[in-house]
Amino acid sequence: MSRLLEHDAKLLLAEAGIPVPRGQVVTSAAAAGSFARLLPGGVVIKALVPANRRAKSGLVVFAAGAAVEVEAARLLSRTFEDAPIERLLVEEQVAIESELFFSIALDKARKSVVALASLVGGIEIEQTSAESPQLVGTSELDSLRGVQPHSFRQLWSALGLSGPALPAITDVCVRATRVFFESEATILELNPLALVTAADGSAPRVVAVGAVMAVDDNALARHPELAPLALPDRGWRPPTPLERRAMDVAAFEPYRGTARFIELDGDIALLVGGGGGSLVFFDAVQKAGGRPACYTEIGGNPSAEKVRQLTGVVLSCAGVRGLLVGHNITNNTQVDLIAAGVVQALEDLGMDARSFPVVAREVGTHDEAGRAIFEEASVEYLGEESTMDDAARLIVSRVAAAGTAAAT
Amino acid sequence: MSLGIPDSPRVVVQGITGREAGMVVAQMHAYGTRVAAGVTPGKEGAQVDAVPVFDTVAAARADTGGAPFDISIVYVPPFAAVDAVSEAVEAGIGLLLVVTENIPLHDAIRLHAIAREAHASVIGPNSVGLIVPSRRIKLGAIGGDRPDRAFVPGRVGVISRSGGLTAEVGLQLRRRGLGVSTAVSIGGDALIGLEPADVARALGDDDETDVIVYVGEPGTSMEERLADAITSGEITKPVVALILGEFMEDFPQGTVFGHAGAVIERSQGSPREKKRRLERAGAMVAESLDEAISHVESEVSR
Repeated sequence: MSRLLEHDAKLLLAEAGIPVPRGQVVTSAAAAGSFARLLPGGVVIKALVPANRRAKSGLVVFAAGAAVEVEAARLLSRTFEDAPIERLLVEEQVAIESELFFSIALDKARKSVVALASLVGGIEIEQTSAESPQLVGTSELDSLRGVQPHSFRQLWSALGLSGPALPAITDVCVRATRVFFESEATILELNPLALVTAADGSAPRVVAVGAVMAVDDNALARHPELAPLALPDRGWRPPTPLERRAMDVAAFEPYRGTARFIELDGDIALLVGGGGGSLVFFDAVQKAGGRPACYTEIGGNPSAEKVRQLTGVVLSCAGVRGLLVGHNITNNTQVDLIAAGVVQALEDLGMDARSFPVVAREVGTHDEAGRAIFEEASVEYLGEESTMDDAARLIVSRVAAAGTAAAT
Repeated sequence: MSLGIPDSPRVVVQGITGREAGMVVAQMHAYGTRVAAGVTPGKEGAQVDAVPVFDTVAAARADTGGAPFDISIVYVPPFAAVDAVSEAVEAGIGLLLVVTENIPLHDAIRLHAIAREAHASVIGPNSVGLIVPSRRIKLGAIGGDRPDRAFVPGRVGVISRSGGLTAEVGLQLRRRGLGVSTAVSIGGDALIGLEPADVARALGDDDETDVIVYVGEPGTSMEERLADAITSGEITKPVVALILGEFMEDFPQGTVFGHAGAVIERSQGSPREKKRRLERAGAMVAESLDEAISHVESEVSR
């Protein structure tokens, strides 16, 4: 899943005819100040970072007059997930009469698309939906035939909305739904969705004051206009230098073999796969009392060179004291290529499996040839007669024994 | 025989001229499962391992005797999957095995909606297949080029989110002198057709299955639905369950490990919660793959 920054999402909404606050993206406090001076009232300053719940993290502030530049400067001096905050969205403050909530999302359990609505929007919506679920309405959308406006009229009407606000809100929901399907979004949330009554008694205005949007990475290839705007949602921390190296390895021969890597702080390097097998090894090493230095996943029949490069990355984790190489019995991954890549990487780094514990548990295509390569390099090889748990226990005990030997 | 697969299924492969599909067709033939026809638009007249290739599923059906196919194995590229599934159900196919990975989520939702309306079942997407060793039925890459190494005939039904672990469970059962009735790789995606509970219900009704072993992963609420199905008595055989990825609970939400479906979001999908639910429902919940196999062994010898 990749997130769109708020102003990019609002641009898409505005193009679809949904009113959004007047706003501007700035990179300096002075620019924030000069934009604010063009507006009659106060402004909202939002840090442009790919995250939810920014208001609760102090990344959204209200200011007016001279305070605008002060607050903008303060936000620009902060960091988010170790990365500097470089851009702000400065917007007019909308005179909100009531804050509504509208969201369209994929419901994985129902395998369908669901719209959620509430008359009680704002930053507490999650609490509201948990504590008073009756305040949040749900409507399943037909992804084959498209959606008619009455679905939304029913949704809002059931929540108690009536009068000229009802068609106005319905219109915004229809437009937002179009954006959701056309962008292949995974979520599009308008919160708060502000109802602004006109002084002259004409139809109320509906303004998307806050917008959250994420799109599907697997669909981006057919949305070239969205691809440059989509930011990977790690929600954790920026990639480490070793993780960046692993991404380069993954990009090398992109159509042959998957390679994923997350750096951790343990001492046993794992070079394992596939998707489920890597989870088995990781759980098993932890349950045997070991501490993984990384999470990896290599599979899809990678070349020996790709294995060599990823092994190089895995063995470069700080404080590594042993290596576990392993897969579940493979359907097509060639064990001899895994063996050749691992052994070459050990050689590259001048590591000797006689003093640095390496356990390999590889069963499947060409495993006899693989065994020969591993054993020639003094790697402890476990084959068909072993289990994945056996291999995890063995590497943990070998690393522990090496530690004891070093201490004496 | 479970899941509505006849003893000698009439199989069509959509996207048969791709590299992987060609390899798998040869593996299936070597194992004893015949592919009746293949489909790749624009390649009519070609042959893959002696299987005739057609431009459309309808033409494939008409030119190979006219009977509907029992199953289609879908190997088309991700953006073509909805179209392929739609074509298959229009040609009257009631069971689809979708191997394709990385299908966009909106397409996955449409694909499942189309199948649901046609009362067709979908295994996958992102499945490596299904195997019935006693009948030499192998659909998809499951077991690779040496399926007998992992799968020998027996009375254990295997269901796994991970294709590789479907075979690993088979291998570990074989080491202990046990065999497999039917093994199904149900796919690692967040949006799959037949879920653990659906396949467990089918294996429960299968007189060749005595015990069901399920290997699940973090994310989604499929294991919770399996637990509900056990509790309500819909699953009539003992279930041994292993839920992988407990370590993921120590990581921030949203971090993806393994499969696309294996992501813990808003505290939903936690392995520990899934284990609690399954245990309460009466499943034998294992702490490791070794222990899961031991549970199966003790259940079989009871």
